[in-house]
Amino acid sequence: MVFAHGFGCDQSMWRLVAPAFEDDFRVVLLDHVGAGGSDLAAYDPDRHASLEGYADDVVELLEELALGPVVFVGHSVSATIALLAAARRPELFDRLVLVGPSPRYVDDVGYRGGFSAQEIEELLETMDANYLGWSAFIAPVIMGSSDRPELGEELTNSFCRTDPAIAKRFARTTFLSDNRADLAAVRTPSLVVQCREDVIAPVEVGEYVHDQLADSKFVLIDAVGHCPNLSAPEELITAMREYLSP
Amino acid sequence: MTPPGRARSWDSAPVALLRLDGAGAILDANDTFRSWFDDAGARDLRGTRLSALLSVGGRIYWETHLAPLLRMQGRVEEIAVELRAGGTRRPVLLSAELHGDGDDDDIVINVALFDARERSRFERELMAAHAEAERSAASVRTLLVTTTALARAAGVEGVCEALVHAAVGEFRAESASVWLVDGSGTLTLRARLGDDASVEKPSAALLEATRDAASITDGSGESAAAAAEVVIAPDGQVVVPLHGADTFHGILVLAPRAHAGDDALDRGALAATGQQGGVALDRAVLHEQSVSVAYELQRAMLTEHLPQPERARLSTDYRPAERSLEVGGDWYDAFWVDDVTLALAVGDVVGHGLDSATAMGQLRTVVRSCAESGVGPVEVLARVDRFVQRRGVGFGSTLVYAELDVTTGRLVFACAGHPPPLVTRPDGDAEFLWQGRRRPLGVITATDAPVLPPAAVMADRSGRHSTHLSGPEAGPGVLELRRGDVLWLYTDGMVERRDRSLPTGLEAFARAAAGSPGAAVASELVPSLLGGELNEYDDACVLRLEWDALDTS
Repeated sequence: MVFAHGFGCDQSMWRLVAPAFEDDFRVVLLDHVGAGGSDLAAYDPDRHASLEGYADDVVELLEELALGPVVFVGHSVSATIALLAAARRPELFDRLVLVGPSPRYVDDVGYRGGFSAQEIEELLETMDANYLGWSAFIAPVIMGSSDRPELGEELTNSFCRTDPAIAKRFARTTFLSDNRADLAAVRTPSLVVQCREDVIAPVEVGEYVHDQLADSKFVLIDAVGHCPNLSAPEELITAMREYLSP
Repeated sequence: MTPPGRARSWDSAPVALLRLDGAGAILDANDTFRSWFDDAGARDLRGTRLSALLSVGGRIYWETHLAPLLRMQGRVEEIAVELRAGGTRRPVLLSAELHGDGDDDDIVINVALFDARERSRFERELMAAHAEAERSAASVRTLLVTTTALARAAGVEGVCEALVHAAVGEFRAESASVWLVDGSGTLTLRARLGDDASVEKPSAALLEATRDAASITDGSGESAAAAAEVVIAPDGQVVVPLHGADTFHGILVLAPRAHAGDDALDRGALAATGQQGGVALDRAVLHEQSVSVAYELQRAMLTEHLPQPERARLSTDYRPAERSLEVGGDWYDAFWVDDVTLALAVGDVVGHGLDSATAMGQLRTVVRSCAESGVGPVEVLARVDRFVQRRGVGFGSTLVYAELDVTTGRLVFACAGHPPPLVTRPDGDAEFLWQGRRRPLGVITATDAPVLPPAAVMADRSGRHSTHLSGPEAGPGVLELRRGDVLWLYTDGMVERRDRSLPTGLEAFARAAAGSPGAAVASELVPSLLGGELNEYDDACVLRLEWDALDTS
């Protein structure tokens, strides 16, 4: 079972969910390039300008791990990344768990994604004003004082720490992509987990994904917000167990 | 029990204070917070989610960053977000702490919001300045690389190639093409690059729009004016005009990368690249015109109809350097001095281009006018030398001049700093003729010493030593041509190459000449003698004379 985090933070988003499956599965957590403990040098502005680039990363990872078909759990944008990867290489995937998926965040004719393109620009401004943990992370490196004691501690905001330039590009890639047309190509059985109230991925978007997929199950859980993996882990675990039990 | 003073402090604290439940909905807010909204105090904000009161950017940020962080580390500090309050956006700094564990109902989040309007304005200015500085630095880097490539580009084709490479390499376009306007106003594709290089001809309307775009400037600064020159076509292609000083050369068309995460094209730098490209095209066009004139001039001066004496077979070949756009200064000539004396000349004018082409023309005429019956090669060269000294035309040029008695095969020759004539014989022998040598034209040395051949080629292929080494005023070289002998006059382009010494070059040339199959390949003399290894950087010239050809008897 492979867990992939969404836009914002890193694999620690799964800290309350992943352990519940360790008895029945070999559990693998990944950080996308640019997030968490990933190698920032591996970030390629061309490759990672589209979600296909991230899907390529997932395919390469699964090939390298050679675990056979996996259960892939993708939160938020990683749900879309998982769908792209599964459409391309179905043999690598047994089932998909899509938590708060959205194939397109920006409204379109006949489609309500929840945001306008201008509002996404606002997000970039907000990100510009908040380099979460980045200055604290980078400053000691610049000053060359590796003996500073606070580096031994877990840095504040480190879960969401990333290079600001990469984070902004990832935000654009996440929120300005349109992958609705790719849903029809997915044959892998999928579970769509939708929160009752989610401003990032509204219920109707979750239902849209469920409708477009060839073989999917839809579960609405009683949680508010976009991150049930942190705010409602028990409900999420239960929904996943029910879906995955033979 | 809460002391009443402390309760008042909560309400009138100089920061907005909130208590939220686990889902982020407001349980309680102080007066300061309520006063930020229009209907101060009246509106009951309880039950509203704090994220719903933030700007959209802040809302997404709350959901994707702050809510997860609160769950994972229990607190966040000094986060800059904006409240949508009272019809305006109010920048605040947010600190929050989460208490409790598990279900949303058991959790309380304490929030403090500091008004940050002043600080935010200051930071925005800082960030804008920072972003502008980064943009400028990136533009400068891009322009530096691009202008260097344009400056190095030779010719119109080179400039067009440099432009498409800059578009794809520096501006990260998916593909790019350059279309130039010719004399009749039609567009021609001159270069393209990229996986999906578009070859669709831009419309006349688009061309017009681009040509005139420069005039639609709003006077809001230089870079804005420059950026206005860049036109976005309806299909998303970016069109950059290439204006010279007085000429509209054409357009550079870019297909921008269209993935969600791609950075926007730097239109200012792109327009500047277009301007540099226009100037480079001005220069390239001018240069090519000058090259073309020089080339035509040189071609016109090379004798086309060679004399064909009864007992000799004469052929010539000239090849310009492939890599250089400059015209070289190699030339040959053959003419009758009198009824029985055939003059043969091969020369090499120092320098390149129009100057050397005209110098070559003058030298050729001077040689023709100096060559009179009974004067002889040594005196002819002496006269030409005096002309060069007097007029300064063709200084340092080299020349081999020979006169052949077409009734007897007697060859008299002299050589001004030029590679020695070569004779090859039917038995495969080859001999360089080192006699009759003098300085290059116009050159006076302090000692006026004779020009000695390199020691390594003193011995010719037959092993005999050339003995008639002559000083500046020495007599001519003389050789009686025998049946089937072939005389070769040539320029250094045939023997000099960067990767080998002159003696090695001479030996290779002698070998190739001795083994060459005869007059049949006359028109391909240079390439056949060079064995396909054409000299890329220097032009080359060969004159071949076969005496009493064996196969015609």
